Amino acid sequence: MHGRTILAAAVVAALTLAASTAAAAVKTPSGQTAGSITVWLQVDAQTGWPDAVAAANRQFEQAHPGVDVKVQYQNWGDHLQKFDATLAGGSGPDVIEMGNTEMTKYMAAGAFADLTSRKSGFANSKSWLKGLAAAGTFGGKLYGVPYYAGSRVVTYRKDLFTKAGIRKAPNSLAQFRFYAQRIGKKNTSKAFSPVYIAGTDWYFAMSFVYDYGGQIATTSKGKWIGTLDSPRARTGLLAYKNFFLATSRASKTTDETRPNPYDVYARGQAASMIGPSWFSCCVGDKYKRSTAQFVMPSHQKGKPMPGFLGGSNLAVPVTSSDKALGAEWIKAFTDTASQRTFQAKGNIPNATNLLGSSVNERAALRSWFVPTAKHWVDVENGNILRNMLAQILTGRLTIKQAASSASDNIASVLNRP
Amino acid sequence: MTAAETSILESPRRRRFSVGRLARGSVPYWLVLPVLLAIGAILGYPLYSLVRLSFQHYGLFELIQHKGQPVGLDNYRSVLHDRVFWDTLTRTAVFTVANVALTIGLGTLLALLLVRVSLVIRLLLTSGLVLAWSMPTVVAVQVWYWMTNYENGVLNYVLTQLHVGDFFHHDWYATTFSQLSLVTALVVWGALPFVAITLYAALSQVPRELVEAAEIDGARGWRVFRDVTLPILKPVLLILTSLSIIWDFGVFTQPFLLIGQSHIHPSNYLMGVYLFEEGYFKSDFGRGAAISLLMLVIVAALSVFYVRKMVKLGDAA
Amino acid sequence: MTRGRITRTILNVVALGVFVVVVFPVFWMISTAFKSDDEIVALKPTWLPSNPTFSHFSDAIDRPYFWADVKNSLIIVGATVTISMVLAFLAAIALAKYGFSGRKLFIVLVIGIQMLPQAGLIIPLYVVLARYHQVNALSGVILTYMTFVLPFAIWTLRGFLIGIPADLEEAAMVDGSTRLGAFVRILLPLIAPGLVATSVFAFVTTWNEYIFARVLLNDQSKQTITVWLSYFLGTSRNTDWGALMAASTLTAVPVIIFFLLVQRKIVFGLTAGAVKA
Repeated sequence: MHGRTILAAAVVAALTLAASTAAAAVKTPSGQTAGSITVWLQVDAQTGWPDAVAAANRQFEQAHPGVDVKVQYQNWGDHLQKFDATLAGGSGPDVIEMGNTEMTKYMAAGAFADLTSRKSGFANSKSWLKGLAAAGTFGGKLYGVPYYAGSRVVTYRKDLFTKAGIRKAPNSLAQFRFYAQRIGKKNTSKAFSPVYIAGTDWYFAMSFVYDYGGQIATTSKGKWIGTLDSPRARTGLLAYKNFFLATSRASKTTDETRPNPYDVYARGQAASMIGPSWFSCCVGDKYKRSTAQFVMPSHQKGKPMPGFLGGSNLAVPVTSSDKALGAEWIKAFTDTASQRTFQAKGNIPNATNLLGSSVNERAALRSWFVPTAKHWVDVENGNILRNMLAQILTGRLTIKQAASSASDNIASVLNRP
Repeated sequence: MTAAETSILESPRRRRFSVGRLARGSVPYWLVLPVLLAIGAILGYPLYSLVRLSFQHYGLFELIQHKGQPVGLDNYRSVLHDRVFWDTLTRTAVFTVANVALTIGLGTLLALLLVRVSLVIRLLLTSGLVLAWSMPTVVAVQVWYWMTNYENGVLNYVLTQLHVGDFFHHDWYATTFSQLSLVTALVVWGALPFVAITLYAALSQVPRELVEAAEIDGARGWRVFRDVTLPILKPVLLILTSLSIIWDFGVFTQPFLLIGQSHIHPSNYLMGVYLFEEGYFKSDFGRGAAISLLMLVIVAALSVFYVRKMVKLGDAA
Repeated sequence: MTRGRITRTILNVVALGVFVVVVFPVFWMISTAFKSDDEIVALKPTWLPSNPTFSHFSDAIDRPYFWADVKNSLIIVGATVTISMVLAFLAAIALAKYGFSGRKLFIVLVIGIQMLPQAGLIIPLYVVLARYHQVNALSGVILTYMTFVLPFAIWTLRGFLIGIPADLEEAAMVDGSTRLGAFVRILLPLIAPGLVATSVFAFVTTWNEYIFARVLLNDQSKQTITVWLSYFLGTSRNTDWGALMAASTLTAVPVIIFFLLVQRKIVFGLTAGAVKA
């Protein structure tokens, strides 16, 4: 009868569900099948240097026959959430790419395997870039192998500079500002920026602080102290404010991805922009030929302004069941040949003996890095620096007020247990 | 079957239905069993784990060790003593009221409109609503951001062209009110299709004869709506309102992506964003669990009026 | 008569206006998908592409795993919607038409699950599914989505069922069929519009779901189309907006097809749903 059929169907469905869940409840160790390792790289590698990845895989598989490599590409936006889930439940990767500012938090939590004993096995490890190596070291032990780095440069329109009578790159901040004003006089459209800088681009703004000898935070007796309200730091912030107001028509409250500076540049609304050197990829067909780069000058004549050294490290999660193999893969992927490939694609290689003389690499000679604190990531995510800059640029707070409030916030976040 | 169960089936309001054979008593249980199994198998442990986590200090270190430190009510205390929590709660309550009112109000008007227009227009409008609905949230946010962006947003362009004012380089993301208004517009836009189409489906259950009979009696638009249509729509309206409250209170993706991670700040937190920032971004999972459960309690309190009505309606049937 | 026609015309115009406003973001997305890169970043926005190009669409389809991920999404969503709607319909009948002890508790459970913020469940859910080998598997995602769709579907279908008068059921039972059989035979056609609306919602929500698919599926060959889409935005390098918009347009297509297949029930519902005395 009709009702009975449905009743029977419901029962069968229920039993099947229960049975399948029970049958599948077989515990396996972290889900890794013997004979393969899993590597998590950011999607930048998939689009930027897939040949280097393929070469490393080939090299690894030849050295370890029977083990194949599964590369799974991740997004910057949610890769840490995924990583957290695998740390809790298993089935995680054997190698993971981490941003250099993300490392400290995870190293302090014990997320990675200790690679100190293998250090000499990694290519060029004796001359690794200090900033990248420091990001991968915690408590004297090595957890993250430097992968590649990037600094910030000025990408500019040669034609617009020439039209304004400028023949050489500026050798000081003051001269750059003077040039910018000259260019501004020749291009009076409302939306045009002689130098496009996003208001809350703290990577760039903090360069001014470090240029004048200040810093974001220091430790004293094991406690962090925010130092943005020191006189030197405030001088740097004032220099940034003046430079921004004189040269950029960008929103005072927006960041450096909304919009992408190169989009503004590509529609002819900027004579120059500050950012990573790969910005030159996306300046549009019209201006490709007239685009070049120079190093951002310091307020001191003849020197480069310290640039933020961004980059990535490669680590072996502590949940991996093949830590040795993971380390071997990293070895293959960071060897000199791979570094040369990264370099050819506009990145900075991970060791000083490999450095060339591209604008990007010259800019990296004077660099700064964020405080290596367990909770630094929370300062970034909490937008403390961005808010401070927005308040300063809009005039809602004086530099002194904004800087001391930010310093207090930074100290309280960094000093959390 | 016990005497007690027999009497439930025979209680006054149930007397309309015949008692029937023994098997009938167990039929409803079999009907809900698969659902219970599915939900129980998947959500059982997570729910238990969420409650347990809320009483522990459980950060990244503890996550890796698979072991938390019991701290009793500390997580709850820390959240309830946090000024940011209360500010966010107030802001989210106002936000929810505004969103739900707009969604249900506009949705009802749209459904009524759909009933009255000609067939071609109806097809066009429903298709338009489904098109809007079919956009993945992440994409919709990107498009909305573009339309409202500082440099070349079409919104600024149109407003300037229409001489509403000079909106050149107007920064819609500069103040909290402006940011949350945009989020409201986005959320309502995304929710309207479902509400309008569901209400339209419900309207189709209104017997034509009843409407015509009322109109013949001389009743006009509003009275017909109030006396004939509304009672039949009531259950569906209650459902939609209760669901809207629940969704709008906990909304996360739209505010987080539209306002942008770099503009998110305690002064523009909504509860969903607050949970994510304080719990998961900071890898303080114990605190995140406490906030989740607090949110559950608050949402339950906010929607209890509608839920109770919904449950009572079912009993009276 | 004329009065009615004037009202109708005014309402038609209003509806057209509403259509334009509601559809504008979608129009903007599709229009951008056909624009050249220069036009996309231009200072003055243009409504229609001056030189429409299909290059973004071919770029999008050429990206790795497009077809595989479309297939995965179809499987996951198809299974989730089908199973959930059947189970939810049965459970909704039980809730709406039977009196049984524990009924109120079940209702509270159903509505309670919806009130849980999903963000809190991600990691514990992952841990559970990992234990049962359901991570990086389509079945794990299907089970997860079912638990999100079921409460909502039960709650909504119950509402539709309540609206149906009891006389109809009694009439069906006169001929000796079981109660449940009568319910299914009589109620199913009557709440068809409600079933359709609910299943469209289930389809759209699961098709567009992102975070759980992202966390639970590792192999790119197993991921869903929304995860595939996220790779356009996840890089710290240049974002190809044209390709992203083209890809987004493509991901919306199955939803639109699904709706077109079932829309007859809704759009023509007025005539179909009327109760004959």
